[in-house]
Amino acid sequence: MRLSTRRVALLAAAAITISAGRVAAQGPGPATPTEIVATYNTLADGILALKRTEENVCRTILATANAHAQVELGRAQKAIAAGDAKAAQTALEALAADVAQMGTEGDNAVGAVRKRLIEAGQHHNAAGEAQGIFDEGFVIVTRAAKAKLLDSSRAIGQLAHAPKAEALDAEWKKVQAVVAGLMKP
Amino acid sequence: MTRVRHGRAAWLTLPACCFAALGASRGIAVGQTPPAETPRFRFVDVAEGAGLTRVTAFGRPAKDHLLDSAGAGIAFLDYDRDGRLDVYVVNGWRLDGSRVVEKGKNALYRGLPDGTFRDVTDDAGVGGEAEWGAGVTVADYDGDGWPDLLVTNFGSNVLYRNLRNGRFRNVAREVGVEAPGWNTGAAFFDADGDGDLDLYVASYIDCTLRDVLDAKPTLPWRGLETVAFGPFGLKGAPDHFFRSEGGKRFVDATAEAGMQDLGLGFGFGVRAADFDGDGDVDVFVANDSDPNYLYRNEGHGVFREVATWSGCALDSNGASQANMGVAVGDVDGDGVPDIFTTTFSEDFSTLYRGLGNGLFEDVSRASGVGPATYRPLKWGAALADLDNDGDLDVTQANGHIYPQIDRHPEIIGTFTQKNLLLENMGRPGAPAFRDVTEQAGPGFQLLRSSRGLAIGDFDNDGRLDVLIAHVDAPPTLLHNETPGGSWLTVVCEDDRGGTGPIGAVVTVKAGGRVQSRDIAAGDSFLSTHDPRPHFGLGASDTVDEVTVRWPDGSRSVRRNVAARQFLRIRKGT
Repeated sequence: MRLSTRRVALLAAAAITISAGRVAAQGPGPATPTEIVATYNTLADGILALKRTEENVCRTILATANAHAQVELGRAQKAIAAGDAKAAQTALEALAADVAQMGTEGDNAVGAVRKRLIEAGQHHNAAGEAQGIFDEGFVIVTRAAKAKLLDSSRAIGQLAHAPKAEALDAEWKKVQAVVAGLMKP
Repeated sequence: MTRVRHGRAAWLTLPACCFAALGASRGIAVGQTPPAETPRFRFVDVAEGAGLTRVTAFGRPAKDHLLDSAGAGIAFLDYDRDGRLDVYVVNGWRLDGSRVVEKGKNALYRGLPDGTFRDVTDDAGVGGEAEWGAGVTVADYDGDGWPDLLVTNFGSNVLYRNLRNGRFRNVAREVGVEAPGWNTGAAFFDADGDGDLDLYVASYIDCTLRDVLDAKPTLPWRGLETVAFGPFGLKGAPDHFFRSEGGKRFVDATAEAGMQDLGLGFGFGVRAADFDGDGDVDVFVANDSDPNYLYRNEGHGVFREVATWSGCALDSNGASQANMGVAVGDVDGDGVPDIFTTTFSEDFSTLYRGLGNGLFEDVSRASGVGPATYRPLKWGAALADLDNDGDLDVTQANGHIYPQIDRHPEIIGTFTQKNLLLENMGRPGAPAFRDVTEQAGPGFQLLRSSRGLAIGDFDNDGRLDVLIAHVDAPPTLLHNETPGGSWLTVVCEDDRGGTGPIGAVVTVKAGGRVQSRDIAAGDSFLSTHDPRPHFGLGASDTVDEVTVRWPDGSRSVRRNVAARQFLRIRKGT
């Protein structure tokens, strides 16, 4: 049974308190009590699980934006085929916004959460950030992927006022290629 | 291991040896000033002789908190409607450790016929109510024809209502715009087309006065110094949108208008303009270390934030920058507004070229703006025709926030810096600028830690002058002595006799060129420009057509107008 992080922390504190008393009674010794090590291991399980959870949350954000984008793509394609410029513009702008959100791994509200984590020193991909692979605080979307998705979002935004089915399809293929790479387990 | 961030934080974590490498990687050309030639520009500081002597005090000498070094805005206005520009200077507080030593007083200077100014602050009652000042936005919020003054503060905002007799009264509380916090840039504009001016106020960091007073520098700078912490690591404060109710009071309608600051961006400069050319007013917000916002007006005062996909949230690398000030204008003469933002040191100021339909492209590198602006830390800015040749030049106010860098000037320069002048090379459709600061006269060689910047023709000689606010120094008034071309200034008079109708757009056709200017309340870095649209005309002595599109959509047209004059056009004529 997996314990919640809070429960694990409380158990760890209790174990340390009990063991500290026992250690004091026994006198100085080289080995950390096994109970403390076991508790810390359980805590580590929780911490690592949270990291995986964060990854899954960001994948969900990406997947949700992608799913929404698919819907807007369909609307845009239908509107273009029907010659409905107004509907095409609305759908293409919504699609551009969805693709932009994929590039920025969420909208401004998610950006605020990311900022909070960074402020607290939490970097999901610290090594990747140091190597320039990820922007600060990003979990799934690499810097290269971000640049491509933002380029595509701007290109789709430009199509909103001059919609062309072939150009839209070509841009969407680029988006899907990037997203497929990001969503690989 | 060193972790590289973009924008403001990037350079803090880099050892000094990386500076040259970074510069090379961004393609910084050495020696961008033009070869020796007859200087086209000449600016001379006349502030002291003109009587602009108010020293703006900010915080502690070591600038322990960002508030100590944020500085303030400045404004040109004509509060008494005598046809001569007046000046409003915003002031801060001086601290000694955690003790408040002085609550600086703002200053209103009345312009006199001889080009000097007289301090009328006490007579007018506009000293700032002992708040720690940030910005000044001038607009006739109540529609009585007389300009009023909104002073944004670290604290409660102040709204000075013009009583039309040389005096003002603070009505911020009774009309509902106090919004205590760290308020910064603001813009008055008609969001919903009902004829009243609504208000957007940006906010920076969520902190208390105690946080400021107890602050100590804790942020490592290149392993050499410790400097003021932030903004990363501090909580952003939400911006506000206030809807006017008949010009009598304001209601917080932030959520209703779709302008919730979901990202809690560190907001600074605000500019309202019709960015997508659809006839209603949109709002651009320059955020420090966060993506910029572009609130597109969807009609009837409901907005949608579209900056990321419209191309003006981030730079061309997809990175957030430390955006401070903003300027808007058509730099390439294609009829579409462009956006210019100022940023931190060792980063480009960004020129977002308008592509039409509210879309933008970062052309900072290609236009030469980026490389020319890379080194200094940048604040107020204007796109203005400073040589009257028919295109918009760039001027920006520079100055660092960490006095500690003075101990290592070889790395990034000093706390005080020269301001910058970039000449527009006048290439239609492909903006191009060159740095002419060194040839722009003694006024541009001054070293200050500058912040707010306002453009205006204070002596009514047909050349735009530059008013600059600094940290811990009196303002600079750069008198424009550039031998330039022909010009026209349009004074738009509304039906109450007011001469700064916010939202009016003036278009001039002359010499085969078409130029437009809008009248805005709120611009640059927390500042306000001269409300009289000015046009450089080059060699043209006649203007074929002048059109004023008034805020209510009506138009006034004049044809075959002589150049070199202040053309007064009254609404309805």
